[in-house]
Amino acid sequence: MTTDQWIASTCGLCYGTCSIRAHVVDDVLVKIEGNPESAIGRGRLCGKGVAGIMTLYDPNRVNVPLRRTNPVKGKGVDPGWREISWDEALDEVTARLTKVHDDDPRKLFIQRTTTNTAIRAPMMMFAAAFGTPNSWAAGGGLHCGNGAHLIGGLYHASWSLVPDFKHCRLAIYFGASKGHGAGHVSCTNMQDAADARARGMRLVVVDPMANFASAKANEWVPIRPGTDAALALAMVDVILNDLGVWDAEYLAQKTNAPYLIGPDGCYVRDAETGKPLVWDAARGHAVRYDTPDGAALALEGAYDVAGVRARPAFVLLREHVRQFSPEWAERISTVPAATIRRLAREFATEAMVGSTIVLDGKRLPYRPVAAIYFRGSQGHKNSVYNCFAIELLNQVVGAADVVGGALGFNPVCYGHPETGKPWYEPKSGPDGLMITGTWVAPHLPYPISDPKHPSTMSLGGLFPLGMFGPTMASSDQEELWTKFGLPYRPEVMLNYGANSLLSVGNSDTVAETLARIPFIVSFDITLTEFSEFADLVLPDASYLEALDSRPNVPFIFNHPAGLGAWSWPVRQPVVPPAGQRRSAAEVLIALVDRLGIREEFNAVANTHLKLDGPHRLEFGTPYRHEEICDRELKSHFGAERGLAWFKEHGVISWPKRVEEVYWRAFLDVRVPVYWEFLIGLNRKAKPIANAAGLDWDDAWYDPLPRWMPCPSHEVQDGAFDLWGFYYRDTLHTNSFTNENPWLDEASRLDPFSYTIALNAATGRRKGLRDGQPVTLESPHGRRVRGRVHLTETVHPECVGIGGCAGHWAKTLPIARGKGVMFNDLLEVDWAHGSPVNLNLDTCVKLRIAP
Amino acid sequence: MRYGMAIDLKRCIGCYGCQLSCKAEHGTPPGVFFARVVKREFGTFPNTQLVYLPTLCFHCTNAPCVDVCPTGASHYREGGVVDITKDDCVGCRACMQACPYGARYFNETQTGYFPGQGLTPYEQKKYAAQNVGIVLKCNFCIDRVQAGLEPACVANCAARARTFGDLDDPHSEVSQLVRLRGGEQLQPELGTRPNVYYLPPA
Amino acid sequence: MARSATSDRLLADLGATFRPQRQWVEGRGIWLIVGHFLSGVGAGTWLFSLWLGYRPGLGLALAAVALSGLAHLAFLGRGARFWKMYRARTSWIARGFVGMTLFLPGAALYVLRPGGALGGLGLALATAGAVVLIVYKGNVYAASKGVPFWNSPVLPILYATYAIRGGLALLLVALPLGGRGLDAHGVGFLELWVAVSAAVMLGFYLGVMRSTNLAAQRSVAELVRGRAAPAFYLGTVGVGLVVPILVGAAGFAGPLSQVVLAAVGATSLAGDFFAKYAIAKAGVYIPLMPAGRGPAAPAA
Ligand SMILES: Nc1nc2c(c(=O)[nH]1)N[C@H]1C(S)=C(S)[C@@H](COP(=O)(O)OP(=O)(O)OC[C@H]3O[C@@H](n4cnc5c(=O)[nH]c(N)nc54)[C@H](O)[C@@H]3O)O[C@H]1N2
Ligand SMILES: Nc1nc2c(c(=O)[nH]1)N[C@H]1C(S)=C(S)[C@@H](COP(=O)(O)OP(=O)(O)OC[C@H]3O[C@@H](n4cnc5c(=O)[nH]c(N)nc54)[C@H](O)[C@@H]3O)O[C@H]1N2
Ligand code: SF4
Ligand code: SF4
Ligand code: SF4
Ligand code: SF4
Ligand code: SF4
Ligand SMILES: [Mo]
Repeated sequence: MTTDQWIASTCGLCYGTCSIRAHVVDDVLVKIEGNPESAIGRGRLCGKGVAGIMTLYDPNRVNVPLRRTNPVKGKGVDPGWREISWDEALDEVTARLTKVHDDDPRKLFIQRTTTNTAIRAPMMMFAAAFGTPNSWAAGGGLHCGNGAHLIGGLYHASWSLVPDFKHCRLAIYFGASKGHGAGHVSCTNMQDAADARARGMRLVVVDPMANFASAKANEWVPIRPGTDAALALAMVDVILNDLGVWDAEYLAQKTNAPYLIGPDGCYVRDAETGKPLVWDAARGHAVRYDTPDGAALALEGAYDVAGVRARPAFVLLREHVRQFSPEWAERISTVPAATIRRLAREFATEAMVGSTIVLDGKRLPYRPVAAIYFRGSQGHKNSVYNCFAIELLNQVVGAADVVGGALGFNPVCYGHPETGKPWYEPKSGPDGLMITGTWVAPHLPYPISDPKHPSTMSLGGLFPLGMFGPTMASSDQEELWTKFGLPYRPEVMLNYGANSLLSVGNSDTVAETLARIPFIVSFDITLTEFSEFADLVLPDASYLEALDSRPNVPFIFNHPAGLGAWSWPVRQPVVPPAGQRRSAAEVLIALVDRLGIREEFNAVANTHLKLDGPHRLEFGTPYRHEEICDRELKSHFGAERGLAWFKEHGVISWPKRVEEVYWRAFLDVRVPVYWEFLIGLNRKAKPIANAAGLDWDDAWYDPLPRWMPCPSHEVQDGAFDLWGFYYRDTLHTNSFTNENPWLDEASRLDPFSYTIALNAATGRRKGLRDGQPVTLESPHGRRVRGRVHLTETVHPECVGIGGCAGHWAKTLPIARGKGVMFNDLLEVDWAHGSPVNLNLDTCVKLRIAP
Repeated sequence: MRYGMAIDLKRCIGCYGCQLSCKAEHGTPPGVFFARVVKREFGTFPNTQLVYLPTLCFHCTNAPCVDVCPTGASHYREGGVVDITKDDCVGCRACMQACPYGARYFNETQTGYFPGQGLTPYEQKKYAAQNVGIVLKCNFCIDRVQAGLEPACVANCAARARTFGDLDDPHSEVSQLVRLRGGEQLQPELGTRPNVYYLPPA
Repeated sequence: MARSATSDRLLADLGATFRPQRQWVEGRGIWLIVGHFLSGVGAGTWLFSLWLGYRPGLGLALAAVALSGLAHLAFLGRGARFWKMYRARTSWIARGFVGMTLFLPGAALYVLRPGGALGGLGLALATAGAVVLIVYKGNVYAASKGVPFWNSPVLPILYATYAIRGGLALLLVALPLGGRGLDAHGVGFLELWVAVSAAVMLGFYLGVMRSTNLAAQRSVAELVRGRAAPAFYLGTVGVGLVVPILVGAAGFAGPLSQVVLAAVGATSLAGDFFAKYAIAKAGVYIPLMPAGRGPAAPAA
């Protein structure tokens, strides 16, 4: 008898988490398709998503818990795995963790991959219940979130942004491939971007390479890596000073542009309330920013207020950008000054400042332009100012979360019509600036917490603007920890999937830091390069074998932005886990009980998952993962829609409202075009850093953005005549999917996927042939080898390398030896990180080794 | 009724979704692609364009592969679909030499995607339905089409670059696209009269 | 290991602008070239043996065509289904197959029982079959629209020429076996004449191809300085044309021994084989996206 069924679930091959339907015949998965009933993917998948069958059935998957027998750890050193039972494994983990917990819980270091987003909540809840602040997502300092999520959060209450594909008329991408090769919600964006292209939206892509977004753009603007701030600042200069275009109403009401700034660069505050003052031109005197009826707020001029000469922040911004002329920016970015002027003019004109549109009976601002940034421009030492400068383009013309403009990923949700849940919206915080209203995944860039003497491995306390810092795997970590007197060292590491050997920086440095950690436990689906450093490997159920009530971090991360529908899907096993594989979420909960931290865990879960009423967890009761999922779903969608309902239906959907998407016009919050808070931050952080003997440069803490060179821009030796940069391949998710043989095969067919892209003329000048093997070398003597692909699609000064390939583990026979590991060229140390948000630099000066 | 497809090169983003969803649908062995994406660049820096050209069998109205087939295994079926009767193919590969579009593959062996590690459960299932020693190619997913579905590569295309339908019906979406957007066949001078049209990239 | 080497090559081929044709020359594909070679030679030998009244040649012809049949079966992926070829008549392969099925029983009949009605029937069948066998092969290649190098009306003429020459060559080789009733020098002279024509044809063919489309040009390049060059220079040109023509020309100066003539025959045969081999090997498919044309090329 044959059985034949379609099971609704969620893809897990990248963090896009598209909704899928799995066709299972006689217990064998035979096809994965998109689920048309869900807004996430809308029934269509990328190539990786449909190839998931090969990841599920990879014979190289781990099936049993493995214990290391070889005490020596190193790259390429065989750990000498011995199969053990789950009981044995969990006993050992419990013993190790109990010791750490009793001693100092901060000695537990938690790491997880970003690829599988479902584990985010369980891991974070476990860390919180255990009491360790030391947790990071793979990629560490290179992680997508340091700059882009930060600026996205400050301005859009979101982790990232997209153009309003339905209404935008001109989008400028600064190092993002949204809707083309990668990025958030990549599949759905691919549809929306194609529609926008068909509709006639103009797309300009600023990128060192004309690969994905740039290949489909109306205009490709080749740029030298790491110089986006220079370009954007020059554009802002042209718009504000040459063209004199800005959205006065937006700036006055939705930003801190009218806030009066004193000679010390700080807000001039109301003596009584401490609130920043603004100049009310109608009244002819200063008022608090939140004074009702403050309609005529001055953006220009100079005023004597409270005994000082005060000027609106906007004036300072205009003056500040004067120094960034297009000619100056051309020298830094290689983008011709004439192009910069033209782009600025087009952006300012197309913004149609002042125009409105009626949607759903509501008159809304219409600003059909968007400046979009992500990994490419944020992946630098100058991460913060790059993103800040680009974001200013949206802000000065008022194109933020209004029709046609740059939209955040769903910062506002008023919930399912029947339950009104989930419900969240941004609100006004200290000094009137916006606090995100998002939830499930706390994202709180503002208010900026006070810097303190760091007590975490990442030194995060001193750098409240940073999400993840390189110190957790840097060559100078011991030196820095000693400087700051970190009172402990990592004792146990709990890893979920992440392959930091490939994703963080050069693998030698990462390997050294890992080898120092006494005990490493890793939940894995295959043995990777990371496993060479693990003491215990626990066989995880893959995304097609696991259950989760919240697979896509609803809704601020990988749920489509713009109008359309809300969808909350689940993930459920489409086949039972093979071998002794167990879902990590279940195992974590088992550990909670063994460690005796159930009360803490349940309390954290109640808040983190926003469990409500009867669905809250009792502190003392043990719950299985499945029960928690069930309670979470019931909590949001009503008692009748628990896990059973979701397993049957796969997804719940309801329409979005105009107020949710174009929320800016409806909510009274302001965002900062002038980062006054940086001054205070600097004042407090600098003494702490200096006391520890750390160099400190105030230039990074200016309230207005500037271009700061990356280490690669300061290399003097002319022999290093190329800039190496990184891009994501549409065929691969970081290092993960290289082991999938269908994707590997497609990569081998692709001219770029596994090669080093070098400008054809540059290559010819160097006497190179297409396909020739070359060695690239950094000024630090780091080397990688690969085949060059001579192409017209790369900036003449640059080499582009895609993906996080270059695996060497014998346990990954498909991935092994394929492609080029760009990260092996990168230094991981303090000098290559941002002293504001700890972001690690992703561009490197190179030469073709002789 | 004449089945056909329009592939919009303006919408296509070279994501390989068609290549891989076709592979998943038909379980084709390593090296065999009924659908494939070809990338070529034109122009010189900085006036460069990278073009993604997704290909498949064009189901030619005047199919040279059918003309040369000695057994009639390659034949036209309903709607002008060019298909291969598995049991009639002798594996002479004349059709591969006749097809100007590289749409045909000889099924050499039944090795799977994990060499030396046996076949995955999926491969076992899919390969059971295939013959070794014959030629394979795209059949416009005729089984899906007859079941009222779109071909796998069309249904899945994230950029909605592919439109399938009846070219004989002037009101069908595919006909209209070909007409309004100036759809072109690949190498029309060969006289093969493909039923797959490309809509221009710009 | 072996599989990954083949799949590496497959993928490299697919990625190449000019994808090389390998099916009809590499791996088991070599049997097809052998088959084509033998059927041409056999059919040619049959016709000349009849014309010259040389009975041992008829047996040789039969053997050559029979071996050709076996070689074809060795090539086919699903050889056991060969009888299905009766069903399609539009294809040149099917016609060739019909030719072979006329020839083999016919020739066998005539060789075994030359006299009588049955013998007459055999003769008629075999001769018709031989003509088909000489004509069809070039047409099989010429019908290959995917390989512009072959897709030319010149090729059937070239291959027929080669078949005729092969027939003569086999007879020359057979001479030492007992040349009763055969004018060895006449055959040698004919052979020289056909070899010169073949050389002229080949030159003409390559000339035409060089001015055809990009893929045909690429094939010519493969032939004269690429993958097929060694086989072309050594086999097709050197052993196959230059040697027989030079030796044959020497025949004008004085009579050649039978052994020398047989050697000329053998080199001609090798040349015939390598002509097919090199032309097959040089085949490349039409590129999917020709530079600067087709809908994929951007407007400006
Ligand atoms: N050069 C360069 N480096 C970068 C970046 C860059 O732009 N340039 N980007 C950075 C960014 S933004 C990120 S987010 C990181 C990503 O870095 P990682 O998260 O390390 O990347 P992946 O390779 O996607 O995932 C690592 C592992 O997760 C495992 N995995 C996948 N699914 C599961 C599962 O269900 N269970 C378990 N247990 N494991 C699973 C896979 O086995 C895989 O080996 O890389 C960073 N590295
Ligand atoms: N297919 C696929 N999708 C993914 C992922 C994946 O690995 N594969 N990873 C997911 C993750 S974790 C993330 S964070 C997102 C990232 O999504 P994106 O940010 O869209 O992806 P990237 O390719 O890293 O970066 C975008 C572009 O920046 C360019 N670039 C590099 N350096 C510079 C520079 O200095 N300036 C400018 N202007 N451009 C530059 C690159 O050439 C590239 O085209 O994608 C997610 N989606
Ligand atoms: S975009 Fe990501 S989640 Fe969506 S189908 Fe592709 S790999 Fe899966
Ligand atoms: S799936 Fe669609 S967008 Fe992707 S390569 Fe194929 S045709 Fe192009
Ligand atoms: S594309 Fe090739 S295989 Fe398909 S019908 Fe045309 S000639 Fe035949
Ligand atoms: S290989 Fe099969 S389908 Fe192709 S021509 Fe020969 S018999 Fe026909
Ligand atoms: S129509 Fe079907 S068989 Fe043909 S390429 Fe598309 S998915 Fe493959
Ligand atoms: Mo990321």
